[in-house]
Amino acid sequence: MRDLQATAEAALDAMRRQGFDDAMVEAAEHALAELNVAHDEPTLMRGALTHKLALTGIVDGRRASTETGDLADEAVQRAVAELFAAARSAPRDDANAVSAGQQATVDKGPDDTDPDALAEAMAELLDWRAAHTPTVSIEEAQTSHHRVRARLLSSRGSALASRVGWYEMGAMATAREGRRTSSFNFGGGQCERLFDPASGASPAERFGLRRIFTELARQVHTRSLAAPFVGDVVLTPAAVESLLAWLRAQVSDLQLIGGTSLYADAVGTPIASPLLTLRSRFDAPGIAPLSADGFVAAPVTLLEQGRLQTLLPSLYAARKTARPHVPTAAAGWELRAGDTPLEALVAGVPHGAVVGRLSMGMPAANGNFAGVIKNSFLIEGGRAGDALAEVMISGNMARMLRDVVAVSRERLDTGTSCLPWVRISGLHFS
Amino acid sequence: MNESGPAKAEPAYDEWRRHELRRSRVLMVDGNLTTNSRTSEGGISARAYRDGYWGFAAESGAGGDVARARVRARAADHARSMARFGPRRALALPGGSYRGEHEYRGRTPWTPDESVQYLASLHALCRARWPGLKSVRLLLGDEQHRKWLATSRGGESLASIQRALLYVTFTVDAADGSPVELMHVFSGKGGVADLDIEPRAIEPVLDELHRHLMAKREAVPARGGHATVVMGPELAGMLAHEAMGHPCEADIVLGGAVTGHLLGQQVASERVTMIDAAHSWRGEEIMCPVYVDDEGTPAEDAVLIRDGVLERFMHSRETAARLGQAPTGSARAYGPADEPLVRMRNTVIVPGADKLADMIAGVDDGYLLLKTGNGQADSTTEFMFGITLGYEIRGGRLGRALRDTTISGSALEVLRSVDAVGDDMHWNCSGYCGKKQPMVVAMGGPALRARVHVGGQ
Repeated sequence: MRDLQATAEAALDAMRRQGFDDAMVEAAEHALAELNVAHDEPTLMRGALTHKLALTGIVDGRRASTETGDLADEAVQRAVAELFAAARSAPRDDANAVSAGQQATVDKGPDDTDPDALAEAMAELLDWRAAHTPTVSIEEAQTSHHRVRARLLSSRGSALASRVGWYEMGAMATAREGRRTSSFNFGGGQCERLFDPASGASPAERFGLRRIFTELARQVHTRSLAAPFVGDVVLTPAAVESLLAWLRAQVSDLQLIGGTSLYADAVGTPIASPLLTLRSRFDAPGIAPLSADGFVAAPVTLLEQGRLQTLLPSLYAARKTARPHVPTAAAGWELRAGDTPLEALVAGVPHGAVVGRLSMGMPAANGNFAGVIKNSFLIEGGRAGDALAEVMISGNMARMLRDVVAVSRERLDTGTSCLPWVRISGLHFS
Repeated sequence: MNESGPAKAEPAYDEWRRHELRRSRVLMVDGNLTTNSRTSEGGISARAYRDGYWGFAAESGAGGDVARARVRARAADHARSMARFGPRRALALPGGSYRGEHEYRGRTPWTPDESVQYLASLHALCRARWPGLKSVRLLLGDEQHRKWLATSRGGESLASIQRALLYVTFTVDAADGSPVELMHVFSGKGGVADLDIEPRAIEPVLDELHRHLMAKREAVPARGGHATVVMGPELAGMLAHEAMGHPCEADIVLGGAVTGHLLGQQVASERVTMIDAAHSWRGEEIMCPVYVDDEGTPAEDAVLIRDGVLERFMHSRETAARLGQAPTGSARAYGPADEPLVRMRNTVIVPGADKLADMIAGVDDGYLLLKTGNGQADSTTEFMFGITLGYEIRGGRLGRALRDTTISGSALEVLRSVDAVGDDMHWNCSGYCGKKQPMVVAMGGPALRARVHVGGQ
């Protein structure tokens, strides 16, 4: 096992000697064990042990960064020298800075791979498919164990140490009857224990794969729309995530620096339905509550009953736009459950669809979008019926956030996200 | 370099790879250098086929003899560990082997200073030339893969793929104050120094981008539903990749794609011929040249559709064995720690004889679609991709610009409806294809006229 602390210290020392005014280094190691299935059969066992050294340096207000997988002394010296040249050529920018005064140690999750658990989880998925949804074919699936160790040091006294272990399961599948096939769908999640000792539930059940397979089996025979209409959608958690990802991008660096965010001046104001409360869960399985720019990521509430609580700029964007810095981890968000049973959510829709997945181009800068609704069912008179094909919805992301009319009591917890089903009115179907 | 014919197919098989991956990304947002980054990964890997199962092992570093022996042993151990799932039929993996070296040798790479100075000068030009822009975003980057491969079949090769890109994104405010943006992509083989992007030389292209952006400020929504569209040449590659490229990947076919039942059948207008080209196009090396894939199979063109008839799928050694067809050299791994998967290389629709102006003039009520963003395929052949620039066509003449939308359809129905194929050709290698891993791919084609489903009100 490589001494990451020594590697990080040596790299930071090399950067100081090179002449950087400020520097930040992170040495990391990722150990992976991954069991793969293709076409319903176990096929491949994959293992990898990889290393990475990330360096960010500032000289005279000029910044550059680099990453290398070669941690040998000579390679690091060369990377530092090249980084110095790259930084010297960058324009001076007073917003450039590195992490300062951060101290934390994160140590969580399973350290060693349990190959029996990987095999058992996959076998359970394959057996369940064969027994309950034989028309479904698993195109590909993986169960895996990850262990990431990292040491981050900065010239301003930050020292972050982390060791995070976790398991993942994911699958992509289609259903077939004769020559007919459904759209594909996929799902998965991450956890610290593949089999939950409290509930006894398998990962396939907890991460919604059984639901996906069951619905796929009903999506071989589809219908298209007779005519365009305006109606409601019930977004599944996977589709809800598309909406929330758009919102998070709107309040993050690129949109804030470019001045194109729709919410740059909206903190404290209602931007969404009061039914929406969106909070971080940076303590989720497989997540270290640390930001990419070297800060401890404290819990964040982004929406409180529809009111925007904060923006999410990195240190650089915060200094650039004169806003408070809000560190965020790589993932980990949850939308508060509502009080409407899922069944009632659907029953309240006179004309619309349950939308399993949104397949679309990037929404326009103003939030307008048109997307194909995949793995979706038509709702008529409050009842979900036929699966749909070749149906699009169009609308506006910002408007959709405001037009949420109900949130389900049930949520799907995939580790990095915990999301309910959400009903939204006023979408154009075609 | 040389290729050998099909080797005797032994059930046990091994390959070993050393893979270097270098990337640079320099992003300037309104003159602010928000990203100034270079990364390099290097690693060794081995893959072993034992008793019908695969094992794969990888680690960072250049890999001396000891490391090489270690990953080979681990790969074999991993394959043997799969025996816990019971016996699996060991396939005789088809395909020959390849010995040779291919490296692109372009211009002297730009230094970081040259890249930053270039972006600064381009930003200054944009601000001076079009002062009404709200935001100017410039991304300059390149990516280089070098792979040394040896196989138990006697293959030994060095292959490289090197590509570069420049994204230019302009944003303005619409009349209601909401942002409207449009992007143009320059891409090509080699490093950024190999792109012909001198600011004054690309000014006419950016002038055109700005003109379209101004039209887009007044854009109207498309009418949702089926429509006749002329897809400009920038879209044809995306159509090829998403609509029929993915459903012709043999692992997708084995997963149940409807194309599995359609070999030899008319799946498109007879005007349509579609090829996943390995390394050359009309005698010249193309953007993502693959002479040998990451299983050591000599790569050859896969003619997926010829004159409208579905002719072939793209294969790895294993999918070729499972479907009883010949490998195409399409097994590719993205990163040093990735195993090879069936991937596209340079997917194109072959140009026809029609003129774009005539194709537009022939539409009474429809749309001209010119730029696209991302796309997605499906096992049903239902595809979609985003449209970021388009215009109405009324009575054969161009009308108002369209707001961003999405088009979709069954690839089979859309390709069968093609009634005109342009005589022009546009190549692009800026995007990533997403599967289990990302992948650098190229795509190309001419303008096409067809019926598709357009998203809108």
